[in-house]
Amino acid sequence: MSVATWVNDTLVRDPTERRIFATLAIITALLVVGVFAGVIGPRFLLFQVALVGMYALLSLGLNVQWGYAGLINFSVAAFWGLGAYSAALLTAPNSPLGMGLHPIFGFLAAIVVSALVAILIGIPTLRLREDYLAIASLGLAEVIRLIILNERQWTAGSSGISGIPSLLEWLPLTSAATTASIVVVLLALTYLFLRRIHRSPWGRVLRTIRSDEDLAKALGKDTYRFKMQAFVVGSVVMAIAGAFYAHLNLYIDPSDLVPLTTFYIWIAVILGGTGSNRGAVVGAAVVIAIREGSRFLNDIAFIGNLGLDVAPLRLLFVGILIILIMRYRQDGLLPPKDELIWPSAQKESSAASRGAAASDGGVVTDGTTSGGPSDGGENQ
Amino acid sequence: MSNDGVYEGAHLDKDDPVLKTRGLEKAFGGLVATDDVSIEIERGTITGMIGPNGAGKSTLFNLISGFYEADAGSVFVNQTDVSDMTPPERAHEGLVRTFQTPRRLEGMSVREAMLVGPGPQTGESIFPLFFSADDVTREERANLEQAEELLERFEISHLIDQPSTDLSGGQLKLVELARAFTTNPDILLLDEPVAGVNPTLANDIKRFIRELNEEGQTFLIIEHDMPFIMDLADPIIVLDQGRVLMEGSPKEVRTDDRVIEAYLGGAGP
Amino acid sequence: MIPLQISPFQYIVNGVVFSSIIVLAAIGLSLVYSIADFANFAHGDLMTVGAFSGLFSVAIFRPMLGDVGLFGLPLWFFLALAFGMVAAAVIAVVTDRIIYQPMEDSGSIGLLITSIGVALVYRASIFLSFGSDSERYGVARQGPIPWIRESFGVAITPRNFVVVILATVLVTGLHLTLTRTTLGRKMRATADNADLARVSGIRTDEVIIAMWLIGGALAAAGGVFLGLEELVRPRMGFDILLIVFAAVILGGIGSVYGAMLGGLVIGMVHELVPLFNQWGIIPVGSRYAAAVAFVIMVAILLVKPSGIVGESG
Repeated sequence: MSVATWVNDTLVRDPTERRIFATLAIITALLVVGVFAGVIGPRFLLFQVALVGMYALLSLGLNVQWGYAGLINFSVAAFWGLGAYSAALLTAPNSPLGMGLHPIFGFLAAIVVSALVAILIGIPTLRLREDYLAIASLGLAEVIRLIILNERQWTAGSSGISGIPSLLEWLPLTSAATTASIVVVLLALTYLFLRRIHRSPWGRVLRTIRSDEDLAKALGKDTYRFKMQAFVVGSVVMAIAGAFYAHLNLYIDPSDLVPLTTFYIWIAVILGGTGSNRGAVVGAAVVIAIREGSRFLNDIAFIGNLGLDVAPLRLLFVGILIILIMRYRQDGLLPPKDELIWPSAQKESSAASRGAAASDGGVVTDGTTSGGPSDGGENQ
Repeated sequence: MSNDGVYEGAHLDKDDPVLKTRGLEKAFGGLVATDDVSIEIERGTITGMIGPNGAGKSTLFNLISGFYEADAGSVFVNQTDVSDMTPPERAHEGLVRTFQTPRRLEGMSVREAMLVGPGPQTGESIFPLFFSADDVTREERANLEQAEELLERFEISHLIDQPSTDLSGGQLKLVELARAFTTNPDILLLDEPVAGVNPTLANDIKRFIRELNEEGQTFLIIEHDMPFIMDLADPIIVLDQGRVLMEGSPKEVRTDDRVIEAYLGGAGP
Repeated sequence: MIPLQISPFQYIVNGVVFSSIIVLAAIGLSLVYSIADFANFAHGDLMTVGAFSGLFSVAIFRPMLGDVGLFGLPLWFFLALAFGMVAAAVIAVVTDRIIYQPMEDSGSIGLLITSIGVALVYRASIFLSFGSDSERYGVARQGPIPWIRESFGVAITPRNFVVVILATVLVTGLHLTLTRTTLGRKMRATADNADLARVSGIRTDEVIIAMWLIGGALAAAGGVFLGLEELVRPRMGFDILLIVFAAVILGGIGSVYGAMLGGLVIGMVHELVPLFNQWGIIPVGSRYAAAVAFVIMVAILLVKPSGIVGESG
C-alpha cells in the first residue's frame, strides 16, 4: 500500500478531519521554518516534541481506560509518578537505593509496579459503579503522593532525586534529539500495540461495556476481567511515560505529581475524541500548545503589567475548558471512526469500496450487497 | 406451605427441564418482590410469563439470570446448580436474556453489535491478538458470516452498516434477538420482546420466535401484550404479588378466576 | 510535636470537633449524590468558597461590631459564618442553573467530570481574589477552658464548643426539615429512589434548589469551622474532599443519615490515628491520617459497598 493511500485511509476520512490535519501540518511547517529561520531554537523545539510525546503516551493510556472501557481514573499523575520514581530510584546512582542500574530495569520496574498498583485499586472498585473508581483513584493519587513525600529513606522526600542518567548516550545525536527520537519510537510502538488490541474482539467487548455493561454480562462476558485488563494496560502506559520523563528531565521531585497534570490529560483525551487513539495524540499536542503558550503570557507587556499570577489563570482556564468541552464538544476533534472488527477478517470486497467510502464518510451504502462495509477501507 | 393461592402444579417435575427454580425469594427493604417461586421450563417450549404490574416478573428474570442475588432458593440450568454463578457464567451454561429497554450501543454499528454475541472468542484475550492472530482471523470471519446469516434470517440485512444509535425501537429488538442466537443459548429469556414495537414488526418477531422454536429453541418470555403472548406461548405462568398464581395453557389461564381477579383487583391492567 | 503525655480523651475531643466538620460536608455531598445522582467533585472547593466568603465578610462586619462577644467568640464571626453559608448556597444554586442543569442529559458520569472543571474554577477564582497564602479569621487566640482542663485533663477551647454545638444545631435543623416538612419528605423520597420519585412527579425544581441550598450552606459551615480550627487555605476543601467521600461511602451512598454516621466515624478515626499508632494498632502516624481514611473506604468497598447503613447486596 502506498503512503498516499495509507494517509488517505488512516488520517483524512472526511472534510473535518482534513481541516484538522491540515491545520496541524501548517503549524508543524511553521515551527520547522521557525527553526531554520533561527527564531526557534532547535533544542527548544525538540524538548517540546519530547513533551508532546510524553503527554501523548499519557493520553493514550487514559484513552484505554476512559475511551475504550469508560473507566474514570483520576490518578493519571500518580501512575506517571510511579513510573518516574521507579526509573529514578533504580537508575540514579545517588538515589536512596543507590543502585545505578541500567535504565531498562527502571522501565521494567515501572511496568511491574504500576500493574500491581492498578490491580490493587481495581479489585475493590471495578465490580462497582463507575464513580467508585473515580473516588478511589483520587484517594490513591493522594496516598502515593504522601508516601513519596514522607518516606524519605526510600524516596528522598521533597528534596527529589537528581543524577538520573540520560538514555542511549552513545547515539551520535544531541541529547535533545536523542530523547525526542526515543519518545517518537516509544509512542509509535505503543500506538501500534493499542491499535491492534483495540480493533479486535477485545476492544469490541470494552466498547460494549462502556455503553451497557449489563448487556455484556448477559452475553457471557466477564466484564470485571475486561475492565481490569484495560485499567492495567492504561496504567502501564502511563508509567512508561513517567519512566521516560525521569530520563528526559534527569531530576524528579514530588511536586511533579500535581493533580493538575491528570486534568490536562483528561482534556487531551476528551478534546481529542474519547475512544480514538489518533484523537488522544492530537489532543495531547493541543494541550501542550495551550500549556506552553500560556507560559509566554507574562512576557507580553500588557498582561505582565496587570501583575496577575499565571498559575491560577491556567487553573481557571483548565476548569473552564473542561466545562465547555463536556457541554459543547463531547465528541472531540477526531471521534473514533473505526469499526472494532479484526482487520484481517474483513472482506476483500471492502478494498473496492474504499474510493467511495473515503468521500462519503460513513453514509450507508445500498443494502443489497453482501454487507460491503462502507467504511471498511481503513481496516486493511 | 399451605395450598391457598399457590398453584401446586408448578412444583410437578417435568421430564427434561432446561431451567428450574426452587423456592426463589427476594425482598427489597422489607418489600417482598419474589416469594417462594418454583418453576420448571420444559425443553422445546415457549413459556409465557404474565402478571399485573409489580407482580415480580422482572425481579424473577433478574434472579434467574443472576443480576440480583436471591435471598433464598436456587436456580438450575440443564440440571446444573447455577445459584452461585455470576450472570456471564450463567450465560456460558446456556441461559441468555434480553432486556426490556435495551440501551443503544454508542459508536457501534449493527455488525459490531452482532459480533459481541459469540463467545468466548479467542480474540477477547490480549495475547492471542499477537501470538495466534490467524486463529483470531479465522474465528472473526466465521462470526462475521454467522452474523450476516442471522441478520438475513431476521430480515434486517440492510441494517448491517447502520449505527446502533440510529435504529428504531423495533429494529433494536430484532437485532437483540438475532444477537442472542449467536450465543447458541439453551434457553432464551426475552423481557417484553414487543414492547414499543409497531404491529407489523411485532408480527415478524412472533413469526421468528415460532420458527426458531420449531427448530428446538426454548423460550421464556415476559410480555404485557396479551393477544401476542396468548397466541404464541404454551404453557403460561401467571405471577401475582411475587408468587406463582397458576400455570396452564392459554385457555386455562384465560378462564381462571384467580387470574381475572389478580388483574382486576391489582394495581395494573 | 506531640508531647509525651496526652490523654487519650484529648484525641477523642479532637475527633468530635473534626467529625462535626466532616459531617457537615458529608451531608451536602450525600444529598447531591442521591438526588442529582452524581459524585460532585466540586464539593470540597465549595467548602473553600464558603470559608473565603466568610473571610471576605469579616472585613465588613468586624469594624461594624467591634469586640462584642457571644459564647466566647466575637459576634462578627457568627455573622461571617452566616455570610459564608448564604454565599456558598447561592453559588451552588447558580452553578447548578448555569452548568449542571443544561447538561442533565450527559448522565452522572458527564456531570462528575464537569464537576472537576467547576472545582478548578472555584479554586482558581479564590486564588485570583485572595492570593495563595493561608489566612486567619483573626479570632483572638484562646486557651483551653481552665476548669475542664483541671477536672478532666483535656484541652477544650471555647471555639471547639462553638463548632460542635453549632454543627449539632445545623444537623438537628436539617433532620427536622427532612422529617417535618413537605419539602423535606419530598427530598427524602427523591433520595431514596430517584426513579420512583420522578415517576410520581416529585422531582421538581424545588427539591433540586433546596438540595443545593442546604448542601452549599452546610459545606460552607464546615469550611468556616475548618478555617477557624486550622487555617483558611485555597486548597483546604480539595484536601479534605477524599475524607468526605470516605464518610459518604462508609455511610452508604444515598443515605443522608448514613453520611452523618460515616462522617462521625471517619472524622474520629482521622484524629485517633496518632493514638492508634502509639498503641501499636496501626504502623503509621498522623501524616498518614488521610491515607487511613482511604484504606477504610477501600475496605468498605471490598466488604460492603452499600455502606454501613445501606441495604446488603
